[in-house]
Amino acid sequence: MTAVDIRPRAPVSAPSTTPLIAFDRVDLTLGGRKILEGIDLTIGQGEFVCVVGPSGCGKTTMLRLIAGLFQPSAGRVTYQGKPIAKPRQDIAIVFQDYGKALLPWRTVSGNVALALEAIGIPKAQHGDRIGGLLAKVGLAKHADKYPNQLSGGMQQRLQIARCLAQEPAVLLMDEPFGALDAMTRQGLQDEVLDIVGQSGATVFFVTHDLEEAIYLGDRVIGLLPNPGRVAESFPVGLVRPRDQLATREEPEFLRLRRVLFDFIKAAEA
Amino acid sequence: MPLALVVVAEIAARSSEMTSDTLAAPTDIVLAGIRALGNGTILAATGQTLATALGGLGLGLGIGLVFGILLGIFPIADKLMEFSVEAFRPIPSVALLPIAMLVFGFGYRMEISIVAFGTMWPILILTRAAVAGIEPRLLEVSRVLGLGLLARVFKIVLPAALPRIFVAFRLAAGVALIVAVTVEIAANPLGLGYAIMSAQQSLDPALMFALLVWIGLIGWVLNWGLVWAQGRLFGRAAVVEAAQ
Amino acid sequence: MTVARLAWFAGSLVVGALIILGWQWIADAKLVSPVFLPGPDRAWAALVRGFASGTLEEKLFGTVERMVYGWLLASLVGIALGAVIGISAVARAYLAPMLEFLRPLPASAIIPVAIALLGLSEGMVLAVIAFGALWPMLLATIHGFAAVEPRLYEVSRALGLSRWSVIWKIALPSALPDILSGMRLGLTIALILAVVGEMLASRDGLGLWILLAARSFRAPDLFAGVIVLGLLGFVSAMILTVVEHRLLRWRATR
Repeated sequence: MTAVDIRPRAPVSAPSTTPLIAFDRVDLTLGGRKILEGIDLTIGQGEFVCVVGPSGCGKTTMLRLIAGLFQPSAGRVTYQGKPIAKPRQDIAIVFQDYGKALLPWRTVSGNVALALEAIGIPKAQHGDRIGGLLAKVGLAKHADKYPNQLSGGMQQRLQIARCLAQEPAVLLMDEPFGALDAMTRQGLQDEVLDIVGQSGATVFFVTHDLEEAIYLGDRVIGLLPNPGRVAESFPVGLVRPRDQLATREEPEFLRLRRVLFDFIKAAEA
Repeated sequence: MPLALVVVAEIAARSSEMTSDTLAAPTDIVLAGIRALGNGTILAATGQTLATALGGLGLGLGIGLVFGILLGIFPIADKLMEFSVEAFRPIPSVALLPIAMLVFGFGYRMEISIVAFGTMWPILILTRAAVAGIEPRLLEVSRVLGLGLLARVFKIVLPAALPRIFVAFRLAAGVALIVAVTVEIAANPLGLGYAIMSAQQSLDPALMFALLVWIGLIGWVLNWGLVWAQGRLFGRAAVVEAAQ
Repeated sequence: MTVARLAWFAGSLVVGALIILGWQWIADAKLVSPVFLPGPDRAWAALVRGFASGTLEEKLFGTVERMVYGWLLASLVGIALGAVIGISAVARAYLAPMLEFLRPLPASAIIPVAIALLGLSEGMVLAVIAFGALWPMLLATIHGFAAVEPRLYEVSRALGLSRWSVIWKIALPSALPDILSGMRLGLTIALILAVVGEMLASRDGLGLWILLAARSFRAPDLFAGVIVLGLLGFVSAMILTVVEHRLLRWRATR
């Protein structure tokens, strides 16, 4: 089974090793139930980390800890060495349920403007910045539409644009493409890789799609449930830029797919 | 919290030690209420109010149901009646008070006619929507079976639309009580509305507030009872749906 | 769509005209005593006469003023109070049972109390209108603020919006559909209570005018007044519909 792994690996697109986010023996108990236990994890600056695991393993909870929406019951979650006490504007979240996370009463540009208003950017500069952001996610032609006039993929693009308006150093993505069809999902995966490649942002990406995790990540973290623990870390040795066809056919991709699949099967058992 | 308010009111009323024509201490209100319940005046007035409210509701229900079902089943009739319905509906029910007074004089018939007008609209509108919203497949079934109009109404349309019609009925029952009390307060020498008006005019604030609380209680019990019945008849889902 | 709709509307106008013709026929044939039921011709004549002499206009204005002031007062108080109660879970837990108890109370039942406190004054009528119209707005606003999508609160925390921005930019627009439907119901109640208040406190307006017309058996004037009241209800509801369409454009577009 592991025989595939003899050939020399393609060079890993080495992430800078400066640690940016660190979980230090983190426990989290919510409503008397232990959700996370003894989480130790360091995420480097500019690293793209994907998290997989069976449902109930606390993937989303870890994301919310980094977001500052939850506080650990024990241990520390730090950003640049300091504990994350509350949500920060340089850490942006892309929620899975885009339908609920957008303001239905604001147009596409209005939704992006919300983030600019939050940072306190003068109104006069909004036009240019919104135009640029919408162009980046391919929504330039839809600036005056309302969210309910957009397809799911476009709504998720809009949410990404709003997050980019924060000019985040960290992007937290919570199964962002889980509700989209396969074609749209692949398109958005490449767009996210592009955007992240340009901005150098650090990404924490939660997904239940193993191939998506391998395709996007520098590293895939596997969690175990009840309570959630970090089980294993799988470095992804695939060159960048990645390609929907070529990358997915590489032996390293197939090997990781096999390994992760076995991991999930064992974790769910 | 409400209890604290009552206590504060009691202390304020006691400490001010003056007899007021407009306000009364909670204990006096309770006493006045017990007295009026004891000598039967409240119960008699309640009977009058409920009789007219129910009479009007029955009439309004009948008219509203017939027209609502007809307009719901026949979209052509609905479209043709659009203007007439929209023209009559916004007339505030109390505006008919002088007309009813002119036609019937004071008494039950005048009040019942106004309550009927007030309750007819919500029933008509909601029944129409309920009937028009019936699963089309059901109506196709009735056509395939060759049911006549009456059989269609009683075997398919009414049962299918019943949960939503009951919601309309519950709404209309609230309207009936409100309209009845309003008509009594405004003009008709009958029932609880008249009783509370005369309590005010005879400068008996304790009795006036006792009646106010009593009317509130009746409204609450009526509403609660109908919600309960709705839950019993159609299950939790119907109540939740109705709340939206 | 529009042509067919227009045709149907024209058809419904014809039906309306037929109903008026039927009314005329009943009146002409004296199936109902003309003391009670004037024909549409006489009601129309009274309407024209009333507006020509300016009296009906004046009464209409009195009623509109009362209704609108009471309704605006109720809107202000209802929305502000409803927002505070709706946002705070603690306030909700304390006040909700009491509000639920008060809700089915017929608003007109407090008229005697208002008379006792304020006399047969303009202030009394306004207070009653405001009190009656307050409830639907208060309850709708509380519901609207309590039902804001929790995800949006998380979004605003992640964006770092200030507390005031969250209320103004997230909660209020999100509650707006509920608030508007509360205001619509409140307006209907305001009109009813304006009419009742005028009748009871003898304040100059359409309510008093139709009552006096009935007492002196001036049936055409009475019907003219009722028609104007119906129009008032219709027009005010229309205005709110237009406002609603404008403010809630994002809902309809699909």
